[in-house]
Amino acid sequence: MLRYVTIALILMTGASTAAPDVTVQQDIFHARDKVMPALVHIQPVIKNYNTGELEKQAVIGSGIVFHHDGYVVTNYHVAGKAERILCTLADKEIVPATFVGGDPLTDIAVIKLDLEKYHGDIRVAEFGDSDSVQAGQYVMAMGSPLALSRSVSVGVISTKDRYFSADVRLPSGERTGRYNLWIQTDAAINPGNSGGPLVDLEGRVIGINSRATWFANNIGFAIPINVVKRVTDAILTEGRVTRSWIGLHCQALQELEDYFGTSRNVGVLISSIDPGSPAEKAFLRAGDIILEVNGQPVSARFVEELPAFYRLIAEQPPGSEITLKLLRGDQQYNFKLATKLLGDLLGEDFEVKGWGFTVKAITKQMQIENQLDDTLGVMVSGVKPVGAADQGGLRRGDVIQTVDREPVAGLADFVAIYNDLTNRTSSKILLTVKRGGTTRFVLLKVDGIERESVDEQ
Amino acid sequence: MSNRRVDRVYHLGVIVVAAAALLGFSGRTQAQNFDFDRLQRTIQEYSVIIDMKLQVSYGIQVNDHEERYVGTVVTEDGLVMFNGAALASDNLMSSYTGFAIKTTPVDIQVTTLDGRKYRGEYIGVDRFTRIAFLRIILERPEKLVPITFSQARSYKVGSWVALYMLLPEFISPPLAADVGMISSIIESPEYFPLTVGFNGLQITSVLFTEALEPVGVLGMMSDPTMSPADAGGMMDSYGQYAPLLGIITADRLARLIADPPQKGSVDRGWLGINLQALTTDMAEFWQLGIPGGIIVNDVIRNSPADRSGLAIGDIIYEVNGQQVDVDKDEKTPVFRRLIAEMGPDVPVEFSVIRLTESGVDTLTLLATLQTAPLAATDAPEYENRALEFKVRDLVFGDFVFYNLDSETFHGVVVSELKQGGLADLEGLEIGDIIQRIDDEPVYSIEDVRPIMDEFEQQQPPEVIFFVWRDKKTLFVNVKTDWR
Repeated sequence: MLRYVTIALILMTGASTAAPDVTVQQDIFHARDKVMPALVHIQPVIKNYNTGELEKQAVIGSGIVFHHDGYVVTNYHVAGKAERILCTLADKEIVPATFVGGDPLTDIAVIKLDLEKYHGDIRVAEFGDSDSVQAGQYVMAMGSPLALSRSVSVGVISTKDRYFSADVRLPSGERTGRYNLWIQTDAAINPGNSGGPLVDLEGRVIGINSRATWFANNIGFAIPINVVKRVTDAILTEGRVTRSWIGLHCQALQELEDYFGTSRNVGVLISSIDPGSPAEKAFLRAGDIILEVNGQPVSARFVEELPAFYRLIAEQPPGSEITLKLLRGDQQYNFKLATKLLGDLLGEDFEVKGWGFTVKAITKQMQIENQLDDTLGVMVSGVKPVGAADQGGLRRGDVIQTVDREPVAGLADFVAIYNDLTNRTSSKILLTVKRGGTTRFVLLKVDGIERESVDEQ
Repeated sequence: MSNRRVDRVYHLGVIVVAAAALLGFSGRTQAQNFDFDRLQRTIQEYSVIIDMKLQVSYGIQVNDHEERYVGTVVTEDGLVMFNGAALASDNLMSSYTGFAIKTTPVDIQVTTLDGRKYRGEYIGVDRFTRIAFLRIILERPEKLVPITFSQARSYKVGSWVALYMLLPEFISPPLAADVGMISSIIESPEYFPLTVGFNGLQITSVLFTEALEPVGVLGMMSDPTMSPADAGGMMDSYGQYAPLLGIITADRLARLIADPPQKGSVDRGWLGINLQALTTDMAEFWQLGIPGGIIVNDVIRNSPADRSGLAIGDIIYEVNGQQVDVDKDEKTPVFRRLIAEMGPDVPVEFSVIRLTESGVDTLTLLATLQTAPLAATDAPEYENRALEFKVRDLVFGDFVFYNLDSETFHGVVVSELKQGGLADLEGLEIGDIIQRIDDEPVYSIEDVRPIMDEFEQQQPPEVIFFVWRDKKTLFVNVKTDWR
């Protein structure tokens, strides 16, 4: 008995003689030296159309160089709507950059440094493997919290699989987070850290810091680097991330296994189906349980398993036929359906400067979210206070169907009619709009001042 | 406080002077000359003190408080009217918020001034005048003495009116007299003899002339540009909203007494359109030559409007030959109220302009109004005490607000959840629309009742609700506790 106790004590002593503090400090220095030269302080000017006019805002974010040609990864909410981007590199040199591509669904964007205007030595960070990180592991966050560039903070991974429902929205209005979990860390992350790297003590980037929590101490979230790698690869090779869409929303089965009579870790429960989607057309129903996708067993007993299932569907080639093995009641069925390309969440913006409002093209996803009959028309995204549209009673969310009796199929039609009317200096313009389920008339009185501002364009 | 009152009187004074000038009033007021001894004997016969508990529920919690009113017996069989301001404050927009505020009177006790005590039963409140009604429960055959209002319209600016108001409970006797003066005879937007000298606590007290004739009750002028539950009023210089008080006349009272409003039933007329105002700019743009009107934005299928032939884009410019003076959206409630107050089964003639490719057509369309759809707060409700939630039927407003297809969409709305109760803790939310319970589809609360009754017999460990929330569906598992 005494022998066993002695052995245990030796092991414990052995662990404590490793002097972890000294090692960790050296590791932190090492990791800092590996990553810091590739750290980027990003100052984009972003375009905002939500107030009824085009507003430009200077924002601050962080990024990390991941490719020798000068490609930098950052957050979509930092650079996604950027018009002009200036970057300050680790050697304090300022280099302009251009937007390459972005993915609001994972909040990732890629920008490219104009290396012709940089005479230093471009340094690239190494990406790690976010699947192999562990809770409790030391990490460092690097970036520009509150615009304080080249800042380092240290903490641990609090959990590696934090789930947020896909109802989280970016400031620009897109929903995000459907296809990924988040690494939660207590390394301090503040506004301005967005887009910066979360780094392990080997100096490898394991996540892109994206979100923090208000009124909390050091609860920050990073997008796992394995998700980032897939997105940046797609942006560099195809310019964008392509996903398949069948129109399913799913729910964890844990609380419902008895009701549906399923075994543990079997199947993914369909909770809702988008109207007009391939899933609806294939007669899938809420309450169906998907057992297999193309012969591959799937399950989502816990919410943390949902993003992987959504990703499996999204990664099928758009337009391809997939086979779902479903459990409905106590019967199993095979359903075949063709996926569709998941289009943009939000449409292109346009400032209707002379009339005092902004519009967006209507995408399929906007149609579903706003319960519209179709994608015809343009949607009002902002109304300038006291402008002609405001006084005429136009509201954000209205869908413009006709302008001066001309039907508006989409944004191109709308812009053409608008340009035509402003050239003709019409003083009163009648719009018909759809608001909720009803049609309303909106009369715009475009006075001299506002027309002059159009002439200046 | 007193400054504000002085200020209000000053404002009203301006109205009095203006009105007096218009009506040729001499400008000299005379001292009032009431025989209060006689009046006090008269009111003894039909005045009662009402004590009741008001249960106010805010979706997830219920508060009780006690209220005391002076009431007036208006029929021999015990119909009593009283101030219903607190009862008319139901949240009519609950379809739009998913959140209902409801005020329910319970434990009603009625005491006559000579000390007889009765129990009372609440009947309902008129949303326009805010006069509420209850009925005295007569244990044995008995005839009560009702008030008889004088129907003569002899209101004159400068003439005095008196009323009795209720004093706080610790004071005896409970009633005290007050006098006021008719300050203006308002003709538009509704006929309303305005008074000065009274306050809002005296509302629904009977008003007497110097000849001791009861001519009506004190009420607030309603503002037709607001929802029926909102009163008319004006801002004083401190930004306080002062109600405009005056006489709810005997003819309006007679209609209410003959057919008192019933809680849970609707007597508002309904046409079945969505609408917007024809602004002056629009009238000019279409060169219509009319000062205002109502543009029909949507026609509800099978509604009176649909059957009359009204179409989207039509412009209603006259109702029963009367011009519709609505030239901005803020004024559309004038039209809504006109239709609502006409009541159901009333034939109405609409003069309509229809814009066509070739020009402008003028039409006369006849519609018979229908009973307005139930408001969310009036919708039938079912309470389940085991799972601690209430549901109500879907109402017309829900379908409009959520843009739902009334032919295919079904369910019941979660209207109340006890805070910390089972349904609340297990994830049901107020405003959820329950479409299925376990495998049973649900169309109304009558479907919910037997399902829940059966559960209480069988006591399953969980109940699965399939609900519609935020434009999507999901399953909610409520773990039960049948103890």
